[in-house]
Amino acid sequence: MAASEEALMWVEKYRPKTLDEVVGLKDIVDSLKAFMKNPKTMPHLMFAGVPGTGKTTLALAIAHTLYGPNWKSFTLELNASDERGIDTVRDRIKDFSRYSRAGFGGGDVPFALIILDECDQMTGPAQTALRRIMEVGSRTSRFILICNQSSKIIEPIQSRCAIFRFSRVEKQAMKQHLIDIAEKEKYTLLPEAADRIVDFSEGDLRHAINALQTASAYKDGVIDEKTVALVIGEASPMQVQKMIRKALYGDFMEARKTMYDIMGNFGFSGTEIIRQVQREIFKMSDLTPQQKADLSGVIGEYDFRLTEGANSDIQLSALLAQFAKFGKNIEDSYADAK
Amino acid sequence: MTIVLNSKGFKLPRLEREKFVNLMHLGLDYSRDTMLFSIKSYNNIEQVIDTVSSILGDEVVFLQNCIRCGKAFPCKGCSYIEMCTTKNLPFSCVCPQCLRDRKNFEEYLTKF
Amino acid sequence: MQTQSKMQLLWVEKYRPRKIEDVTGNDEAKALFIEWLKNKRHTKKAVLLYGPPGVGKTTLVMAAAREFGFGVVEMNASDTRSEKAINAVAKPATSYTSLDSFAEGAKSLGNVLFLDEVDGIAGNEDRGGVNAIIKIVEQSLVPVIMAANDPDIDKLRPLKKVCLLVRFQQVRIPLIIALLQKICLLEHVKAEFEALERIAQNSRGDVRSAINDLQSLSEENNSLTLQDTMMLSSRNKDVSMDETLRRYFSAQSIVETSSLLLFSSVDYDDLLLSVADNLPKRYTDATELAKAFDYVSRADLFRGRIGTENWHLLKYFNNALAEASAVNPESYKPFTLITPPIRIMTLFWTKPKRSLLQAICAKIGAKCHVSVERAREAYVPYIRLMLIKKPRNPLAAYFEFTPEEVDYLTKMGRY
Repeated sequence: MAASEEALMWVEKYRPKTLDEVVGLKDIVDSLKAFMKNPKTMPHLMFAGVPGTGKTTLALAIAHTLYGPNWKSFTLELNASDERGIDTVRDRIKDFSRYSRAGFGGGDVPFALIILDECDQMTGPAQTALRRIMEVGSRTSRFILICNQSSKIIEPIQSRCAIFRFSRVEKQAMKQHLIDIAEKEKYTLLPEAADRIVDFSEGDLRHAINALQTASAYKDGVIDEKTVALVIGEASPMQVQKMIRKALYGDFMEARKTMYDIMGNFGFSGTEIIRQVQREIFKMSDLTPQQKADLSGVIGEYDFRLTEGANSDIQLSALLAQFAKFGKNIEDSYADAK
Repeated sequence: MTIVLNSKGFKLPRLEREKFVNLMHLGLDYSRDTMLFSIKSYNNIEQVIDTVSSILGDEVVFLQNCIRCGKAFPCKGCSYIEMCTTKNLPFSCVCPQCLRDRKNFEEYLTKF
Repeated sequence: MQTQSKMQLLWVEKYRPRKIEDVTGNDEAKALFIEWLKNKRHTKKAVLLYGPPGVGKTTLVMAAAREFGFGVVEMNASDTRSEKAINAVAKPATSYTSLDSFAEGAKSLGNVLFLDEVDGIAGNEDRGGVNAIIKIVEQSLVPVIMAANDPDIDKLRPLKKVCLLVRFQQVRIPLIIALLQKICLLEHVKAEFEALERIAQNSRGDVRSAINDLQSLSEENNSLTLQDTMMLSSRNKDVSMDETLRRYFSAQSIVETSSLLLFSSVDYDDLLLSVADNLPKRYTDATELAKAFDYVSRADLFRGRIGTENWHLLKYFNNALAEASAVNPESYKPFTLITPPIRIMTLFWTKPKRSLLQAICAKIGAKCHVSVERAREAYVPYIRLMLIKKPRNPLAAYFEFTPEEVDYLTKMGRY
């Protein structure tokens, strides 16, 4: 289809193709460039950091740099959370290395590239299996492992990789980037509107650019703060907020119902819900910093149990029960104060 | 056709002595004054129904006794007959009027 | 006593009939039993009351004890060392401290041995089976009353030699409704007729469960609508799961639950889910609930570690699950069980929606280098808005969305 040739999503359209085009991330880009000069020296890489900070972009830029326009023939992109288990991952990597080696013809890059996203979603046993796969395949391929938290990756894998940590995109850089994109699309993004998007996205460039593109669909020419506020309001997760509030106000049953709603109707996994809960808690203006920190500790515990346990809905329910208790304690302390 | 009988008083044609004694044995009672039979014991109720049916030459169904108003009423028309495991047996029950009418209910309660 | 005050909270106890004539339904069984008490016990020493649970077997025995003035001595029939106990019972009620105070003040007929749930022994050869019961009857110097829940009377058939069989049946729906109406009036609960009707029908003739359901449904506010009864679980289903849950939640100690879990035949995963589902109904206090859920969460952790092979860890799973049942035995009140598991129901009803969204996210993921999950979180909310804003958006063709998928996205609402 003709329409599919040209990237319509701005995130893709303005994704840097080479390391030189990448804005910010100077230290990381410099180290990677050193590897690119003599690709044979490139080790397995691990990119760790919150979503939307350029991990995928850099991984794809490396593929471009190594293989040129035909990069897709030498690169396998896999998403750990989409594959149905480590066996599927193994099979796909096996098939790929067999096929890609045949196509090399003695070029100066003696390996194929495997980009494995969301590695931290893999269970312990799956990671152990992954480690074996990396060992066996290391002569013919290089891995770029992408994850949110490197601490969730087992030690033996970490020690086999050069680890790069990505911090949130710096506010001013993001603002400028958004204004630039708007200009290329023949829009004027007002500074207050840009600030609003930057604040909302919390350093996640993917959210920021998608919000910008959506706002552009609402208005021709100038994108103002009002339009941005409208888009942000409509796009932020209402159900997660509702679930947290119900729990804190002591209505556990309703909170749990909402949780099943989010899982059932929208198909979110327990891990994703807990990630959003963490985000939403920090947005809540009626909690003190201390309360937020306390809740965050509780969330962390159940985040861990979620990856180890068998049923994510049980772990989430247990978290909501903790919230209800927390809410009750706040209430009690108010009552005592009186 | 089904014959409907009130378990508290029903007539039967004149019986041979042996049959009469057997019925008394199964748990029926007979009043010489009113010349009516009634059910005294439910222990052999299925046999009673069989015997009475064969005497009258047709299928016999007994009325239910309402624990509230005391009236006898048929199972036919009961909304719960589908799931009843004792339908048509002359046990205590509650008639539809007493069950749904609040007034009857309150009247009944004053008896306590 | 603590248990006493708790008992009074239960409507099944509060409204348990004290007179034989007030025991609802089962006219035939009542008549047979009274006849046995009056005459037949001189020729047949034992009687077996059998039939579905909650129809009044124990209630009838207790009421009869009151009216006829005999002491009820309950005994565990599976205890083979009970010979001494049996003989002890033979002494007159006045010199024997009866387990129930029913005989007090009444003209005493002496004691009666009462063996409840004998079907458990009859079907279990390890405990001596039916012969063990027959032996007890033969040894006993006093009349023996037995009760059994098992619908499979064939197992108990051999008992016919030594005892009178009395069959109990489901209590008629109108009688149950009438009883519920009476309780509502006395407890000041305003109930819709249809609500009581539904509880009664749902109970399948089990008076005890009907009263328990009524109490748990009308506990919070003093009104009951048909809507309130919608979450009643159907009682016509996996009996062993219901029974296990009922016993799990009413357990008085961790030890009690542990042995229950050890001998239960229900599936571990089903049980874990159902316990989690019903926990908020069991613990209404937030602190208790959080504590109980922490144990269930730990049980789930062990379930994760057990996987498919580490079954030696099962004891830790059981321990954690048992802890959750006994956070506060004092706070137990009967409630209506939620079954089948909420998750299974939710996932079943929402499956078409979810798989549609899944397909949409996979298409986004393929174009935008993101996982299905990330597509759902960071793309769907925006693409949805763009499609609503511009109905003939080229994005639809770009992502190769089907018309059905576009329609879904524009109508899905915010998550």
